[in-house]
Amino acid sequence: MVLSTNAPVVMSANGLYKRFGGQVILNNAAFEMRRSEVVLLRGANGAGKTTLLNILTGNLEPDAGTLSLFTAAKEEHFQFPRSWARKLNFLDHFTPERIARRGVSRSWQDIRLFPTHTLRDNVALAIQNQTGESPFAVFYRRRRIREEEAQIAKEADALLVRFGLGGRETSSADMVSLGQSKRVAIARSVLAGAKIMFLDEPLSALDSKGINEVMALLASVVAEHGVTLVIVEHVFNIPRVLDQATTVWTITNGQIKVETPEQVRRQGLPTESDGVRPWLRHLAGTNGRVVERELPGGALLSYAQLPNGSGRAALNVKDLVVRRGRRPVIGRPIGDGREVEGLSFALPDCSIGVLQAPNGWGKTTFLEALSGVIPVDRGTISINGKPIQDLATWDRIANGLGIMQSRDNVFPNLLVDEAIKLAGVAEVPDHIRPFLGRRVAALSGGERQNVAAACALFARTNAVNLLDEPFGMLDAKAIARLQGEILARNGGATLMLLPAASN
Amino acid sequence: MNYLLHLLILLDVYIVVAMSLNVIVGYVGLLTLAHAAYFAIGGYSYALVTLLLGWSFVPAVIAAVLVGVAFSFALSLASWRLKGDFFVLFSLAVQIAIYTVLWNWRKSGVEPGTWENLTNGIDGLNAIAKPLLFGHQFVGLGEIAILFTVIMALVGVISWTMLNSPWGRLLKAVRDDELAARSLGKDVRLIKMQAIGIAAALAGFAGALFASYMAFINPMSFDLNQSIVLLSMIIVGGVGNAFIGPFFGALLLLAIPEALRFVDLPIMVAGEVRLMVYGLLLVVLMRWRPQGIAGSYRME
Ligand SMILES: Nc1ncnc2c1ncn2[C@@H]1O[C@H](COP(=O)(O)OP(=O)(O)OP(=O)(O)O)[C@@H](O)[C@H]1O
Ligand SMILES: [Mg+2]
Repeated sequence: MVLSTNAPVVMSANGLYKRFGGQVILNNAAFEMRRSEVVLLRGANGAGKTTLLNILTGNLEPDAGTLSLFTAAKEEHFQFPRSWARKLNFLDHFTPERIARRGVSRSWQDIRLFPTHTLRDNVALAIQNQTGESPFAVFYRRRRIREEEAQIAKEADALLVRFGLGGRETSSADMVSLGQSKRVAIARSVLAGAKIMFLDEPLSALDSKGINEVMALLASVVAEHGVTLVIVEHVFNIPRVLDQATTVWTITNGQIKVETPEQVRRQGLPTESDGVRPWLRHLAGTNGRVVERELPGGALLSYAQLPNGSGRAALNVKDLVVRRGRRPVIGRPIGDGREVEGLSFALPDCSIGVLQAPNGWGKTTFLEALSGVIPVDRGTISINGKPIQDLATWDRIANGLGIMQSRDNVFPNLLVDEAIKLAGVAEVPDHIRPFLGRRVAALSGGERQNVAAACALFARTNAVNLLDEPFGMLDAKAIARLQGEILARNGGATLMLLPAASN
Repeated sequence: MNYLLHLLILLDVYIVVAMSLNVIVGYVGLLTLAHAAYFAIGGYSYALVTLLLGWSFVPAVIAAVLVGVAFSFALSLASWRLKGDFFVLFSLAVQIAIYTVLWNWRKSGVEPGTWENLTNGIDGLNAIAKPLLFGHQFVGLGEIAILFTVIMALVGVISWTMLNSPWGRLLKAVRDDELAARSLGKDVRLIKMQAIGIAAALAGFAGALFASYMAFINPMSFDLNQSIVLLSMIIVGGVGNAFIGPFFGALLLLAIPEALRFVDLPIMVAGEVRLMVYGLLLVVLMRWRPQGIAGSYRME
């Protein structure tokens, strides 16, 4: 895409400076952002992408610099550090709500819809300055509120229909799939009147269908509303974002480097959309092979057998049925729907495998059933021939099961040292050393994922390792390193769970 | 019959208090242990302005409501910064501070209600004015019961209307995810202040009703246990639901001790048995119906 250079500037910053303790994150960063621009924001783990987003959305004050907003009729200029007079004047604070009211919206990696509201209300809430938002207005401006509510509901529904969510208007937000919630979040920003949308890893954990849908929506939002987008993404999703991007910002050494998508393409991009299967092919080498098996529900199991395998099954899942409420999530109803066919597969000793499944297949449920957090309805799970489905979680771990969840996989309030010790890692891996003495909560998303992986892999050698989206949030270097670690620490079988990819 | 009317009057009062507490717990999402104190503030304000200044019922009730709102800032300012256990502890401090003041602001030999002996401590305030509306003094149990039931129903309708308006929708959104609400440009501090202010106003209102009916109050009706019983009411009834939850909660928790009266227990153990029944009720509920009888929001 090309951007006309005379589009009006909507936001600009100069001399942004931010440090945490002794660590300088942003050092004299500057940029200018124009109407309808689509910016891909990239950078290594810990480069400062999230920090920059936090600053530009009013969630964090930089130590120095200026920030100007031209999105509303009245321009806003912020000078940092804020003067004392400004700090005392509580009408002049630098806060998320103030920035949001100027047409700047933000989405989170974990989406954050309002879970007890319907999709319609989630979207309706975004509208600014509703008459009914004052507590007593319902008593003296009934008519007006009723009309306004009808209007808002109409707008919200129309938007939901346009976003492919027609018929789901009254579903509760905690009952819809990941891809759907991501679309609701975008709808919410649109109705909030966003002129600039910051999106922190909007494609993560989506299968390829979901990625297509979200990217198409974003494109239409830019085309129709002239919105400016700033999208943070990592390695394998970068090509998808580049297709739409007009500009690429790369954060290195605290500065923002501005390039065109063509320049970035010339530097070379990953051609695979998941990065795992080429790795498996590589592992299988010349004499080995990658075994692929389709599982019910559109999932694909592929694994590479490494040399020296005995051929025994390290992980054997037989006729597994797991329910959430009444509905079978793992296992498919067959015939008239009363019979359920369980999930069965085996992963041989000395193998590395990946289970790719579309969103809504039940990856999380599967992981929780294997780890013993939720009970299984039927079937057996064995590790090296020993059934574990009736054991408590800790006994499963003792029997050689290792698990790494995709999020909430580290204790945020511990020091990194404590987390590592708690996991029982004897020697701290080199790449974790720089984080010692810091709190897990103060690490970037990717840094945290590195710590979680170290806790999961370095403590001991497990017979079976289950890793849920181990490469999420990681940059290219960290992915390569983690692949090496997985290989080196593979005691029997490793199974990675990933969203379904298109290739 | 008189006894049943007495119970009905108390039930009306407690339903109003429970509804007000439900706004803080179920809609702002904060657990408070200070609610008995706000109930007390209403009762004492009503008693003092009627006794000392000779105000009549309606202005005195309005005064109780306003004093409740004034004190609500203690909680709402805290709610800007504190969450979870820290807020609970803060509310505990508010409860204890107010209770201690009620208990200790006394001097024997001095007329109650004066600057030196404001609350008369444990001996409490006496001869508080009965309800008076449109020139009619409500003295009989029957007429007070009718009046209070009408008032309770009115308050129910009003709070239901507010909590189901766009304001209530916004309030729930703030409860569920404050940062997401702020990022949509919503003023979460203002809305917390409004909600807690309304809750305190309602608690003060209920306190005034209570004082006007009883004609006598002392700090014993407003201690920490009372706060806990109020909380139990709305947890048993279910929070995050404007009317039905508080209604059933208040009904059940008032009914239990009364039902126990008919079991011939020795005085010494009756109190303990009551607490045991409350405890049992909560445990049973936690196991089989964690959201309460009619709740729509589950506290973590
Ligand atoms: N609250 C904090 N206190 C101290 N250090 C912090 C804090 N937040 C972030 N950091 C540090 O600042 C650096 C930048 O973090 P940031 O989250 O912006 O990185 P990022 O570019 O988003 O990385 P990722 O790709 O891993 O998400 C990291 O080294 C991180 O450890
Ligand atoms: Mg980040």
